[in-house]
Amino acid sequence: MEYEITAEDKDATYVVLPAYNEATRIQPVIEDIAAKGYNMVIVNDGSTDNTLDVILESKRKYPNQIHVFSLMINRGVGIATQTGFDAVLKFNPKYVVSMDSDGQHSADDLDAVIMPLVTGQAQAVIGVRPLEDMPRSRNYANAIMNLLTKIFYRVDVSDSQTGFRAITREALEKITINATGYLISSEFIREINDNDIPFAEVPIKTIYTPETQAKGTNTTAAIKILLQMIKHQF
Amino acid sequence: MLLYSLIFPIISIMAIVWFVFRYLKGKNSIFTTVLWTLFWIIVAIFSLFPNSSNQFAKLVGITRGLDFIIILVFIILFYTVLRLYFIVDKLQNDLNTVVKQVAIQNEITLDDEEE
Repeated sequence: MEYEITAEDKDATYVVLPAYNEATRIQPVIEDIAAKGYNMVIVNDGSTDNTLDVILESKRKYPNQIHVFSLMINRGVGIATQTGFDAVLKFNPKYVVSMDSDGQHSADDLDAVIMPLVTGQAQAVIGVRPLEDMPRSRNYANAIMNLLTKIFYRVDVSDSQTGFRAITREALEKITINATGYLISSEFIREINDNDIPFAEVPIKTIYTPETQAKGTNTTAAIKILLQMIKHQF
Repeated sequence: MLLYSLIFPIISIMAIVWFVFRYLKGKNSIFTTVLWTLFWIIVAIFSLFPNSSNQFAKLVGITRGLDFIIILVFIILFYTVLRLYFIVDKLQNDLNTVVKQVAIQNEITLDDEEE
């Protein structure tokens, strides 16, 4: 019989959401996750709009499920996620998920993403975006980043740039993330591989809008990632 | 005597004195002090005796003295940029650590907002 995620499993799960200038997009993301019974650690990455106010507005509705931390200045998605990973340990979670806060990931996929962790099949999961859903430009960029991750970090995955990932607390304590920007996606995969943490790939839905496409791994970010990968070899 | 033959040695002496003072105050390492002192001595020698650059050039297999000076300046600029890069990189890492720690130690509650 197939296992179903219970309320206890959800209660033991914390979703880390790094947020930078997401005032117009983050509220439905937070409230969808909260309505499903998951806890959250939201890190405001020095946003210059009213992202923090929007987050606190949602916290008023779900005060026990939402924990908010705020970086004084913008330091990048890597640092915001690292902050979330460090802060989440205060709440003694069993499972930690990280998602994008711009609405490109669906809270409906949370059960499927933590399933391999709950059933013990894996200790880390990466949410894989279907290639056919991806815009063509993103598709090529992703193929290049997958190849670079394979060359520099010696790990072969279907989607190295996904921001949807899950990990058990024990595995999270083993890995070290140093990336400040979008390199975090590849670095997470490298750390999983280097620490021999069993991992699984789970297909996820991706909602592409002009706004979500403007963010993420564009050409400039890809060049920065490449330079950082080279730097990390030394 | 050309004007630069007068100005550069004066600047060199001032720079050397400044580096020695910084060393005495513990702001420079002995390595940095020696390196910059050597550089300013060379600048003073070249401005007082321009033809001496040819001798230095021959020592390292370069034909013209001016080429030697240009290459020397490039090396020094490259070294300086590289050092600055490492300093900035370290400062960025320190800043990230501080910003992260401050955020983790100060969870934002609804009471904070009401205050």
